[in-house]
Amino acid sequence: MDFSSVLSGFAVAFEWQNILFCLLGVTVGMLIGVLPGLGPAATIAILLPITYNLEPTAAVIMLAGIFYGAQYGGTITSVLLKLPGEASTVVTALDGHALARRGEAGPALGIAAIASFIGGTASIILLSFIAPALAGVALAFGSAEYTILALIGIFLVGTLGNGSIIKSAAAAAAGLLLATVGLDPLMGTPRFTFGTDQLADGIDFTIVAMGLFGVGEILYNLEHRNRPQTAVPSFGRAIPGRLHWLKSRLAILRGSVTGFILGILPGGGATMSSLVAYAVEKRSAKDPSRFGKGAIEGVAGPESANNAAATSSFIPLLTLGIPANATMAVLFGALMLQGITPGPGLMSDHPDVFWGVVNSMYLGNLLLLVLSIPLIGLFVRMLKVRPGVLAPITVVITMIGTYSIRNNAFDMLLVIGLGLLGYGMRKLGFEPGPFVLAFVLGSLLEASFRRSMRIFGGDVTEFVQRPVSGTLVAILVLTVVVVPLLRKVRTRQTANAEQSGVTAE
Amino acid sequence: MQHPFPRRGLLAGLAAVPPLAALSACQVQGGADEANASFPTRAVDFWVPFDAGGSGDLISRAIAKAAEAPLGQSLPVTNKPGANGAVGLKELLAGKSDGYTIALAVKSLFAIGPLVVDDPDAVVIEDLRIITTLTNEGYVLVVHADSPYQTLEDLLAADQVNFGTTGVGTGSQLSAGLLFGIAGVNATDVPFDGGGPTVTALLGKDIEAASLSLAETMPHIAAGDMRPLCVFSEERSVYLDDVPTALEIGHNILVDQRRFIVVPGDTPDEVVGALTLAFEEAREGSEYGQFLQDNFMERWEVDGMEAELHLAEATEQFAAQIADSGVTLGSAE
Repeated sequence: MDFSSVLSGFAVAFEWQNILFCLLGVTVGMLIGVLPGLGPAATIAILLPITYNLEPTAAVIMLAGIFYGAQYGGTITSVLLKLPGEASTVVTALDGHALARRGEAGPALGIAAIASFIGGTASIILLSFIAPALAGVALAFGSAEYTILALIGIFLVGTLGNGSIIKSAAAAAAGLLLATVGLDPLMGTPRFTFGTDQLADGIDFTIVAMGLFGVGEILYNLEHRNRPQTAVPSFGRAIPGRLHWLKSRLAILRGSVTGFILGILPGGGATMSSLVAYAVEKRSAKDPSRFGKGAIEGVAGPESANNAAATSSFIPLLTLGIPANATMAVLFGALMLQGITPGPGLMSDHPDVFWGVVNSMYLGNLLLLVLSIPLIGLFVRMLKVRPGVLAPITVVITMIGTYSIRNNAFDMLLVIGLGLLGYGMRKLGFEPGPFVLAFVLGSLLEASFRRSMRIFGGDVTEFVQRPVSGTLVAILVLTVVVVPLLRKVRTRQTANAEQSGVTAE
Repeated sequence: MQHPFPRRGLLAGLAAVPPLAALSACQVQGGADEANASFPTRAVDFWVPFDAGGSGDLISRAIAKAAEAPLGQSLPVTNKPGANGAVGLKELLAGKSDGYTIALAVKSLFAIGPLVVDDPDAVVIEDLRIITTLTNEGYVLVVHADSPYQTLEDLLAADQVNFGTTGVGTGSQLSAGLLFGIAGVNATDVPFDGGGPTVTALLGKDIEAASLSLAETMPHIAAGDMRPLCVFSEERSVYLDDVPTALEIGHNILVDQRRFIVVPGDTPDEVVGALTLAFEEAREGSEYGQFLQDNFMERWEVDGMEAELHLAEATEQFAAQIADSGVTLGSAE
């Protein structure tokens, strides 16, 4: 690595107008992150015209700020309202919202902000040192690898929630089914589109999440609005206590690393990272039954992971010119409009842009942390608003957000339909989490599996023969089959030992 | 219904309402009838029926920016993605034909789409009017730089080839599919979801070859990661003049992507005329020219009649070639 260009990147990042655009970007990002349904991709697309006359570095610093700022903001609605705006914050909603209900919204959000900051910053440091070397990681993941990764993800979905496993599995299966809506990815045959082009590209994740979590939850809560309101517990301080910190620090560390590595993968890496981080925390916990009921590690791990992943998802864009997600695609466009081609030549042709943007993220993350702490206190008060007032406002914002995804009114009807489904699921005790995550991973699994089969000429054993996918298969077998089996054997042994314990001693 | 602001992306109000657009929008509160008198009196919405960030989006933004001065109005860009442009164009057709909403359209929707799925409700070019034509983007067949195939002849002599495409019903699939089909190579197509994933798969050696647009491949060709084997244009590309055409090697396969701007077919002539004039001037802009060059796009600047003729001919030719070669693009498989 050429240190002089890294250092001059700092000089670029700390030019006063770049600091200003960084601040502007992260503030806008955080705000749209808070508003359910309004995503960074739509926001950046709308703001593109005002970047035309900006200097390229300033423009990209601002747009990048919107992207990672939205990750911070998205957590707030996930925790307070159980309204995840991105696939990567779905798991945060599980324990985060449980904590909020218990009156620990402040510490939950405080830990989330700190976890995000640490995850993001660690990821930038790693990116600066090993980005070029890591570009290869993205390429090592072909269709076969994504197939197994998605499969691992779907099994991990089973570890979410604390209700019945059968109901979780049923919800996940329904999510997988919904993922088949749209044109067949390999043949172009319309599936469950009912003859309309509106469903040709399938259903956007945000719409499913907004419907099942957002509208469904609101409908469910409205049903109880006439009941005497449960005493709203005092919300505590935004700054987490010592105990929270002690519980989460290792989770943050593990989450940062998981997030950084999985974030490099262009297809679904960020979603997988929060899921994996959650599963790791739950598995390594002494008492896994706390999860889903308000375990702070269940917030800390996934939050550091999804922010680390947000940062490392810049790696394929900046080093290979491959956008990892919808937001990166718009950023790609922004760079192209500035006459800069993101890709293999970027680091050598435009070192000022590359390092200026990367180094501005240190500042951006710091600004977000500073902005979050006072804002958390403000947002937490939102919970004190009567549901009869908060609900319609949330629905309106959700509808606006939904429309903004592809400027399409049909999508608003879809959200309402899915909201009714979410309400029904909630009434019957099915959790929306497994449903939406299975939905996201379902299309990845289906398309990757079928592509692999074409590439392998129908030979399934190739999944085990390729080094990376073979390793992933081994991990899958270990976590899904071997570990639970061992655990079962061990509990039986201890049970036996306890029974015969007295005589043995 | 009149809108206090021109219809556009909802957040745009927060972003930047050009003062001019806001002002003139107030002036037309009275009704749309006066529109013809001095078109346009307010902002013209430019719909891009594709996702933000893609080639179609970028061209639209570049030309919309260039057209602001000649049109004397702003042209806010709104993305209306879905079904290779069909969703946005259907919404355009369902709306008013007053010229205040225009949209980008692509050749593949009309010339390749019908070959994939037989859809009685498909958007047809006859319902639209082409106000201006913009670009011609060529496809290039590439392999990984480490690939054993040095030339197109090597590749066509292979026993078995896996090739990636950017999706069902794209020029990427059609060009490579026809080539392997006509040459009689045992080839399997692996459709991906767009250009990015296909490029990744080729760089990662998941697939052996792919036909991709110049914009998607040139940076990787320049970096020495991909090797171009042939292009599918009639003549060699100005950006890759040492790469032969498929035609030179004896395969008459001409596939490209062309983009143009449309309005509903019953839009008044004066309005179409005003828009056409403005875009003709916009195409001369130096920034737009630079944009085309930066993105390896060639100009396609013909009148509406000629453009419609080209689309009709291409549709017929593709259908005939598909029938002759026995290649299948979509569900027919």
